[in-house]
Amino acid sequence: MHLQAQAGLMTTYREPWRNRGVTGVLISVALIAFYCVLYWTEWLSPVAEALGLRNKWFLYGGLYSIGMIGGAAYMLRRHGTSRYHQVRLAVNVSIQVILGFALPYVMPWFEQPEYYFSYFWPLKYDALYPHTLQALPGYMAVWAVFGALVLAPAASLLFGKRWYCSWVCGCGALANTFGDPWRHLTPTSTASWRFEKVAIHASLVIAVVTTLMVVLGQTVGGTAVAGIADEMKQGYGFVFGSILAGVVGTGLYPILGPRVWCRNFCPMAALLGLTQKAGRFRIRVKPDMCISCGNCTTYCEMGIDVRAYAQNNESFTRASCVGCGMCAHVCPRGVLKLEAGQPLSVDLG
Amino acid sequence: MRIVVVGNGVAGMEAAQAARRQLPTAAISVVSEESDHFFSRTALMYVLSGQLSHAATEPLERDAYARLGLVRVRARAIGLDPARRLLLLAGADPLPYDRLILAPGSRARPAPWPGSDLPGVGSFVTLQDLAWLEEEIAPPKTTDRPPNEWAHLTSGASDSPYRRRRSAAQARGRRAERPVVIGGGLIGVEVVEAMLALGRRPTFLIRDDWFWPIALDAQEAGWVADELRAHGVDARTGTEVSALEGGPGGVERVVTNKGTIEADLVVVAIGVVPNTAWLGGVVPTDRGGGLLVDASLRTAVDDVWACGDAASVPMPDGSHRTEPLWYTARAQGRLAGRNASSPGAPAPYARGTWYNSAKLMDIEYTTAGQLDGDMWRFEEAGAVRSSTRIAHREGRVVGFNFLGRRWDHSVCARWIEEGRPVRYVVDHLRQAAFDTEFVLPLVVPNDRRP
Ligand SMILES: Cc1cc2nc3c(=O)[nH]c(=O)nc-3n(C[C@H](O)[C@H](O)[C@H](O)COP(=O)(O)OP(=O)(O)OC[C@H]3O[C@@H](n4cnc5c(N)ncnc54)[C@H](O)[C@@H]3O)c2cc1C
Ligand code: SF4
Repeated sequence: MHLQAQAGLMTTYREPWRNRGVTGVLISVALIAFYCVLYWTEWLSPVAEALGLRNKWFLYGGLYSIGMIGGAAYMLRRHGTSRYHQVRLAVNVSIQVILGFALPYVMPWFEQPEYYFSYFWPLKYDALYPHTLQALPGYMAVWAVFGALVLAPAASLLFGKRWYCSWVCGCGALANTFGDPWRHLTPTSTASWRFEKVAIHASLVIAVVTTLMVVLGQTVGGTAVAGIADEMKQGYGFVFGSILAGVVGTGLYPILGPRVWCRNFCPMAALLGLTQKAGRFRIRVKPDMCISCGNCTTYCEMGIDVRAYAQNNESFTRASCVGCGMCAHVCPRGVLKLEAGQPLSVDLG
Repeated sequence: MRIVVVGNGVAGMEAAQAARRQLPTAAISVVSEESDHFFSRTALMYVLSGQLSHAATEPLERDAYARLGLVRVRARAIGLDPARRLLLLAGADPLPYDRLILAPGSRARPAPWPGSDLPGVGSFVTLQDLAWLEEEIAPPKTTDRPPNEWAHLTSGASDSPYRRRRSAAQARGRRAERPVVIGGGLIGVEVVEAMLALGRRPTFLIRDDWFWPIALDAQEAGWVADELRAHGVDARTGTEVSALEGGPGGVERVVTNKGTIEADLVVVAIGVVPNTAWLGGVVPTDRGGGLLVDASLRTAVDDVWACGDAASVPMPDGSHRTEPLWYTARAQGRLAGRNASSPGAPAPYARGTWYNSAKLMDIEYTTAGQLDGDMWRFEEAGAVRSSTRIAHREGRVVGFNFLGRRWDHSVCARWIEEGRPVRYVVDHLRQAAFDTEFVLPLVVPNDRRP
């Protein structure tokens, strides 16, 4: 077996549906229309009922799972020679199908709330609101707090943010399966990097402030605070939860690549990115072997100009890197290696 | 101070950047016939197959000239007047210089057979070759339009490696279906791989008894040949071409010592030669045309340096040689740029232990050092197929050849420089492993250790 072979990629730019051709644009329009219908109409509810599903969100969960599994089959047909991709996708898709769909569906049968064990604050923006926590059984509330404030950053320090973004998260799972055909469309320019840095850290600040306001409003604050907090909560849910994560994040897969949301707007990614910079994860560069071909940069779904580091012999850690492993996989000279072997550092630069 | 660099390949651009670091205000011009922007020649096969866009092959962002304050001169250099310190250009005024850095790279070794100038016959070294070959064999891309730089300069000579040729496919009204690739080396196998991706089953003609004999032994090459055949390539070893035949429409047959092969496209990949004929011998060269330089990369002509594929550099054994490699071109470019622009003592070119890596179809290849002496060999064929060959003399390692796994050549080179015993190296091989995560490590059983 050639467990690192790259042959699956070779005709990417000769497939119009993957290159903003008419089919690509139509797929994008269809995805955006789907999200608008899902979020702002009830048209899907009768469909869900007809299928015997509890509500339209489980219809969405089912479609999501089908998209992931189909996309994973496509992805592994192309890159299945990578052992890293095999293991990673098997874990990620299983977690999503089980924890993101099946378990929440059956939990009410055992008189438990529908709970998603694989989503944490701040991605799940309401997870730490006092009213949310109070409504949960104790072990779930503990998991929500522990997962967001201890587990996620600690694991990111040790293994990089990939433990979440490429191994657990549902947004990542869809991006790396259903979205994989378009990963080369992510912009790689310095300008896009500048936008990313501003946008994602602003998202984090907005998410933290909104959460703090809601916590205040639901605990000590008077009705005035609670009112403002409520509006912020609504606004955040609309802009981040629906528009940026769904309509833009997924709808624009065929135009701007599969990680628009993860790269520019996800507050969880921002937080884990900061801990990743201080942690042990890095991409190691073999000295003076890079031929500057550009495969790594092209196939980076986060738009990192990997080549810029590789051709300068710089091992590096970028906050946005989700550790999907594609750069190492596609490099025809075996220059790159993901590893979690650096000593912890306090350099947040 | 006026610095002129001929060539915007990796050597020329590294030289220009190094000179800029030394001299923040000097006027630095970069002359290029091939293209406006520096691109990665090593990525040509990926653009041909469709794995990369044209733009993706450019290692620097397009504002690089402006950012570095370099003047770009898109023109063909046609000679040198060292007495008046002028670089002569076709269709433009001569360019005066105080320091000249020559980095004109290499061109395809010309095909020696009758019929080599038929339409449908070409090489694969330049951007214009890529344009020609795409037209011959590949469906057009929908979004990735080739950059304008493809248009060859009308002032270019008819023997320029950067001339744009008409394809046989255009005259025929149909793309090539029966391609033949001549030359069993790295460029040959890259063209074959791209053609496979484009849905063709090329015939691959190799003169030697096995593929790439300067790098692989018969057993290693046998694996590559199996891989080629498994993908449907008609790989023929021991096959010597004597003529190419066809009509005005283009090539139709390749005549060899082992019979005649039908063909509607022939790519000749029999090596490269220094692209220095345009200098007309003004700068002394070795027998192959490589520009002779001393250890500081200076030529025998005053204030002229050379680097990259076109330079014939001194080797540790005292001989001079050209090395058509990306990493040597980069290192030499950097050094030539520094030495040509720095007032201090010139730094010498230090050619360390030889190494290289490649991908032969789907097989990863890494080499370091010299492969002569006694051999220790180990092959595995389980979850991973790999072949490891370690050469040693008097018990000390001198070279490595690896197929099927990734290795850190710098660790291997260090072992060679330290003169490590072969047993030590095999025991510590894991320190040089560079496989991606979850690939099971190489395990050498005790009774197979040297
Ligand atoms: C298909 C292919 C695959 C390769 N793969 C590998 C690989 O995997 N690993 C590796 O190490 N090496 C590889 N090489 C070799 C590598 O590309 C070269 O060693 C490297 O590009 C040399 O750089 P250079 O700057 O010396 O010359 P070049 O890249 O050849 O640049 C020379 C430049 O000089 C300019 N020029 C030349 N003559 C004139 C003139 N008369 N007037 C004006 N301008 C002129 C041209 O514009 C040209 O761009 C490959 C080469 C090819 C063709
Ligand atoms: S690191 Fe590998 S893929 Fe990236 S530019 Fe260098 S050789 Fe190409």
